[in-house]
Amino acid sequence: MDHFPFASLAQIQILLVPVGSITKSLFDKRAAEIRSFDNIPSGDITVGDKDQRARFLPTTNTLATGYLHLSFPSHPPPESRLPLSLFRPSAFPLGIIGIASCSPETFEHIPAYFDDAVRDVISSEYALPISRVCFAFEEASDGAALNTTLSGVEVIPEMDTKQTKLHLGTLLASLCSRILVDLSDFVCHIRAHNSNSLTARPQVQNLESPIGNEYLNSGLFATLLPSQLPSALDLEQRSESPLSTHSQPELSTISNLRKSSTFKRTSSVGPALPSLRQSTLSAAASGKKRTSGIGAASSHGRLFKVLGDAFLLAGRTEDAVVWYTEALAMFKSLPDPLWHASVLEGLATVPILEAWASAAGLNGSVDTVKDPWIDPTDKIAQAASMYSRIIPGNDQDQQYPLLSYLYITCIFRHTSLLYSVWSAKGWGPVAFTTLLNPGPAPYVPPTLAHPDQLSFVNLERLSITSGIRRSHISEVLSQAHGPWLLHLGSRERIAILQFITAIYGYIGYRRKEAYVIRETIGCIMDLVVCGREHYDDYRLSSAKPVAIGQDAPTPTAGTLGIRESEPTEGNEGIVKLVKHICRIHGVDLGAVNVVEAGPEAILSRKSWTRDERRDTEAPPVPEDDIPKEPIGWPELQIGIVREAIAVAEALPDYAAVAQFCFSALKNLHPVMTPTDQNQLYAGATRALATAKRRGDSRAIEYWTGTPIVTIELTPLPFVRFPVEKSLGLLQDNDENTGKRQAVTTDPFLYNPRRSLHTKGSLLVVQNEDLEFQITLRNPFVFDLELSSISLSTSGVTFESKPISVLVPANSFHHVLITGRALEVGNLVVRGCLVQAPNGLSREFGLPLSTEEEEDKLMKRKTGIACEYGRTKYSGLAAHPWERPTEKRTSLVGPTSKKPAKPIRYMDFKVVPELPLLRIRRTSLTHSAVMLYNGERSTIRITLENVSSLSIDYLNLTFEDSTMSPAQQALLEGELSVFDAYETEYDLIHRQVLTWDSGNSKVEVPPGKVMTVTVSCFGKAGCTNGSIHISYACSRHALEADPPVDNFYARQLTYPVLVTVYHMLECYDMDILAYSGLNDRFGVGYHDPSMGESEDQSWCLFSIEVRNTYGLPFEVTFERIDEGEGWTASLGPDNVVASACRTVPPGSTCRIILPLPKLLLTEEQTSRPMPSLSGRQFVVNKSKLSSEDIKLQRELFWYREELFKAVRGRWKEAGGSRSGDLSLRQQRLTKPMLHALRMDPVYVQMELLQQADDEDGVSQKVVNRRGGKYRAPPNEFLFLRMRIRNVSPACLIFTASMFFEPEKYVIHQGVLQGIPFGEVESGETKEMEMAICFVSCGRFELRGQVEILDAARGEPAGSGHITVLVEDGQYLTVPDSITGAHVDE
Amino acid sequence: MSHHIFILSPTDTPLYSLTHYSSKPAQSAGSALSSNLPSWSTSAFAGTLTALSGASSATQHHTSAGGGVRMGGGQDRHVIQMIANASLDAIEEVMRRENVMYLKSVDKFNEWIVSAFVTAGNMKFIILHETKNDDGIKVFFNDLWELYVKTAMNPFHTAHTPIRSTVFDSRVRASAKKNL
Repeated sequence: MDHFPFASLAQIQILLVPVGSITKSLFDKRAAEIRSFDNIPSGDITVGDKDQRARFLPTTNTLATGYLHLSFPSHPPPESRLPLSLFRPSAFPLGIIGIASCSPETFEHIPAYFDDAVRDVISSEYALPISRVCFAFEEASDGAALNTTLSGVEVIPEMDTKQTKLHLGTLLASLCSRILVDLSDFVCHIRAHNSNSLTARPQVQNLESPIGNEYLNSGLFATLLPSQLPSALDLEQRSESPLSTHSQPELSTISNLRKSSTFKRTSSVGPALPSLRQSTLSAAASGKKRTSGIGAASSHGRLFKVLGDAFLLAGRTEDAVVWYTEALAMFKSLPDPLWHASVLEGLATVPILEAWASAAGLNGSVDTVKDPWIDPTDKIAQAASMYSRIIPGNDQDQQYPLLSYLYITCIFRHTSLLYSVWSAKGWGPVAFTTLLNPGPAPYVPPTLAHPDQLSFVNLERLSITSGIRRSHISEVLSQAHGPWLLHLGSRERIAILQFITAIYGYIGYRRKEAYVIRETIGCIMDLVVCGREHYDDYRLSSAKPVAIGQDAPTPTAGTLGIRESEPTEGNEGIVKLVKHICRIHGVDLGAVNVVEAGPEAILSRKSWTRDERRDTEAPPVPEDDIPKEPIGWPELQIGIVREAIAVAEALPDYAAVAQFCFSALKNLHPVMTPTDQNQLYAGATRALATAKRRGDSRAIEYWTGTPIVTIELTPLPFVRFPVEKSLGLLQDNDENTGKRQAVTTDPFLYNPRRSLHTKGSLLVVQNEDLEFQITLRNPFVFDLELSSISLSTSGVTFESKPISVLVPANSFHHVLITGRALEVGNLVVRGCLVQAPNGLSREFGLPLSTEEEEDKLMKRKTGIACEYGRTKYSGLAAHPWERPTEKRTSLVGPTSKKPAKPIRYMDFKVVPELPLLRIRRTSLTHSAVMLYNGERSTIRITLENVSSLSIDYLNLTFEDSTMSPAQQALLEGELSVFDAYETEYDLIHRQVLTWDSGNSKVEVPPGKVMTVTVSCFGKAGCTNGSIHISYACSRHALEADPPVDNFYARQLTYPVLVTVYHMLECYDMDILAYSGLNDRFGVGYHDPSMGESEDQSWCLFSIEVRNTYGLPFEVTFERIDEGEGWTASLGPDNVVASACRTVPPGSTCRIILPLPKLLLTEEQTSRPMPSLSGRQFVVNKSKLSSEDIKLQRELFWYREELFKAVRGRWKEAGGSRSGDLSLRQQRLTKPMLHALRMDPVYVQMELLQQADDEDGVSQKVVNRRGGKYRAPPNEFLFLRMRIRNVSPACLIFTASMFFEPEKYVIHQGVLQGIPFGEVESGETKEMEMAICFVSCGRFELRGQVEILDAARGEPAGSGHITVLVEDGQYLTVPDSITGAHVDE
Repeated sequence: MSHHIFILSPTDTPLYSLTHYSSKPAQSAGSALSSNLPSWSTSAFAGTLTALSGASSATQHHTSAGGGVRMGGGQDRHVIQMIANASLDAIEEVMRRENVMYLKSVDKFNEWIVSAFVTAGNMKFIILHETKNDDGIKVFFNDLWELYVKTAMNPFHTAHTPIRSTVFDSRVRASAKKNL
């Protein structure tokens, strides 16, 4: 490959060729040894005979300073460049070194091999002289057999490195000496190598002869192609002209020239020439003269330029300058821009050579002149502009490539001068060395060898120290780039583009570098494609079997299809270049990895180590949610990606095609058109299929971002849902449990654990199907095919089948994955395993995010959104892989210091298998019940066990629409104690649905049915209810070892629609004292049920019943025998009395029922109102006095007692339906309480009179009529008071008597505080008092019994009689008169 | 003669682009070397090379007399964008060294001269032109800057929002017509 060193004009090229059967490594080693001689001091050159042939050999003057610079290419220049032989001899090898390894066996053949090798590399049309030598390196030190010398072969014996080097140096010096001699020969004589032309007359020609000069001036480049030469120039027949021993174009040369050109010129210009030696200033004048002297003939400018070139090669810079100056002078008068430009290039090379020599010789003395490179650069720039302006002659097709090449190399010379100085931090030895001998890696100077040298700071530092700006270098270099590149051959073009790329790369112009790399790749791919076509043609023509996979015609009959393995070396490099271009444009083509993996690796990647690590790592922010700053130029990106794919397809590297397509889709899909996306996807799919078919072992990792949006468990149907229950339920037979549950299960109003209890992992059942709904997202415009998607789980074994999905374009898509857990334990669903067709599967975790994480995520998102549009890194530094990896400081905060929390995934608790029950039928139609208020009916439910497990636990719980408001009211705790009791009573004793749970220990074997009967009670206000049947197979839990606390049950729910007709209303309940009633109505009302007991112990219960319904109802109120509870059996035996009325629709009836008075003891009435539900004690908030509380409690307890004794029932008139009437709404007032409560003492008063019987004196009751005694006046009567202690305790009583009017009554003894003494419970005591009514009239006699030491005011009991005192003779007189009369 | 105008965000994304065809005649082809090019149509990749090296426009130039509409769509547009993008290398270097907003003729590639204008917010206005017209371009850039600032004052406009305003477009065109 061409390297375009700056000083190529001063370098003698010596071709290195392998000779014989030398191995490549050995050749490379020896070549490297030889290449280490990049310069040879002139002093080492053997100065041979002092004839003309030695004119370029070093003179004694230049002994100290001159150097010959060598370069050792391994390939000859292309033949197309041969026309430049004379114009630029430095571009062609002047010597050949064959490198052979010699062993005794092969030694003799080396010369023959060498000849072959030389013939191979040097075409027969080669114009320049070539000195050849073969170095035969001895393999072993036993070189005894090699003593024989062969011509042209130098044997280099095995020696130590230093000696070898010395020897090689000597050999090279002698070779150089020969080269110089040959060169001098060449300049003097031109020999045609063409043997064909030998038939023409042999003619000796010399470049310095007039004819030679004409050749030199023929055409643009002085083409020396033998076919164009009219005659062969024989080297053997040299001119007899005196040989010049001096380097200068001396008299002899000129005279020679003059002599040989006599047929053209007659005048001599000799005298001017000696002045050349003294000063170049005179050159112009002499040139003019000479030109004028030459007249019509060609000028000698070109000749002088050739001489200058030769001296430059020979290291004699002073002489070169002289000749170049001479040439310039000639060109000024006769413009010849091409050669002129070349002279300028040569002149520009000289100062560098001198500077290098002086610096090398003087050990690093630096020229102090400011910017010494200005002069050479000016010269080169001038040359370049001249090159670019040359208009080729008639033979354009051949000249354009050469002109372009010259122009470009000139630009490169300019560039490398600037670049070397820049990269060497200024004008100095480093720069010179770089310019002269770039070394094996020509473009990397030591200053740029560090990896971080490409940073802006470092590049700028170089610019500042050297004084050369990068933009200047780039400006110069960009001149080389242009359409003329197309004139060149592919190989040259690649070399040139490579040079441009390298320079752009090293000055940090990466976008330009990418631009040129694109061209380079275009070039290379062009060759690849053309080469393949060429090969195809060749193969087809040779009728070989047809390769599969290429666009070949159908194979001929009888041939086999054979797939040839395509050469793949170099593909990797091209792919790498393509990736590099894309990376510079901001597209990471490696975003999707290609992994070397077989099918077993796909399976084994199911659990990879990265996931273990991810368990403790914070989940990354989902990429899609962050607004991304657009980076780069979308149109360009898509363009270069398309090209990259085309390159990969042409190679062909199908895995890379797929990788590129997918990476591009992943990164660029927001800016891609739908067509592009479709094409890329189709292309990638095709490429993957092809790669697989071809047995490519590489696979593509999963490529779309995160396809999974959510995973959720489809909720189990309620009938299948397992409920955790305490094992205590199985042993506990307490029927209260059910009751308590009906009110509330929690004894606390506020239970902080309640909310915690409901949390926890979801329950799922072993061996039952679970359905997971996965939401997938496809952001692309094509339907995304996923060949397999499955759940990634840990914990217990989970059996599920992967499914393949086609996700529609640009949408969210739901899929259902079904599976079952095979064991009992914990099941964790971590995420999904997703696999694209022909790719590797990849796991996507979907952790549950806590609130804190959500918060953090939100913060990050807003932070990023806030920073959107504020660009910190611009240009290439904005690429994600260029940015520093530090996190955004504002968002890290102190939270990052916290230890990472383990990530939580969806987890489930798998419970053992459960039986399944279903409701087979019920006795209801449309599950609706219609009831009258208070009516009872039954519901029959038939259950069937449809599972294979038998059910041994069954429990029914109920719910109705009245419960929750009541419970709510209770929970709020705002009710008064009384209301709370009523509500609780309602909840417990008057449930709508009840079940006699006598047989909760049931056994329903698989497939069998059982029937449960639920009773239903019509309760006003109830609209619906539900029956919850929970069942389980509790055997496992009971027998579990170790014992467990819980078992799992399932629940069936049967909703019931309840309609309750509210038809009878009870209101205005009243309790009346019986005796008072008697008095009021004046007639004795005697109920048969009252029996013979005294009317004081009775009261009347009265209530009004209104029928608000459309049908008549028969209402019965019954008194139930005391001693038996209300809730006891309701048989008619206990009914002691009843009152029955038919209430027509819309009317109201009052129903009266006699009722024995009640007496409750103090202990009974002083109890607080109970709480039926066993709720927590609630502090009474009402501020009642103790007396009020006492009264309240008394009212409560008496009311309870009353409701126990009285029962209301209704019956449909003419129908069969019946039910209860509730009295619960009725309230007991204080007067009612008085009427109801029995006094502790029963007081009876009688009026007696003495009667004379035969037996003696006896007492008889005074005539009593209409409830009144009729007694005669002025007669002694006896008032008897009989008391009975009806209270259970023994009490001491006193009595007081009140007569009205008192003054007409004469009595015996005191009226107040008449002692009765202790009266036992149930004991009766009597007291008699003699009284006499002294007047007629109506007397009220009242006796009042008090308990001794009891609170004043309230008598314990009282009696009362009314006496009408009248005499047959006496009219009833007013009290005032009679009283006065008595007194008299 | 055509001008290609781009407004690039700090992350090199074009926010606005305009191709302006000037009524002025185009210069003759720059280099003698670029004439008489072979026509390349052997493979797909040669097309890339032809376009990128500028040869296609050179040959096109020969075919279309008078340098009227030279830029087609497709490949050439792509190359123009590539050149504009590549010139960012030079612009970035120069703008960090020099303290001016208007960088005239900051880069030259193929036949195109690149002038640029860098705002304080690191927005880059780039013009690819064929002939030197420093004063006109300077006036044009100042107009463009003013128009851009007015657009950027929209509170919903960020540094990455493409400019699609028709008013902006028509004013830029007017200024280009006047100055280029």
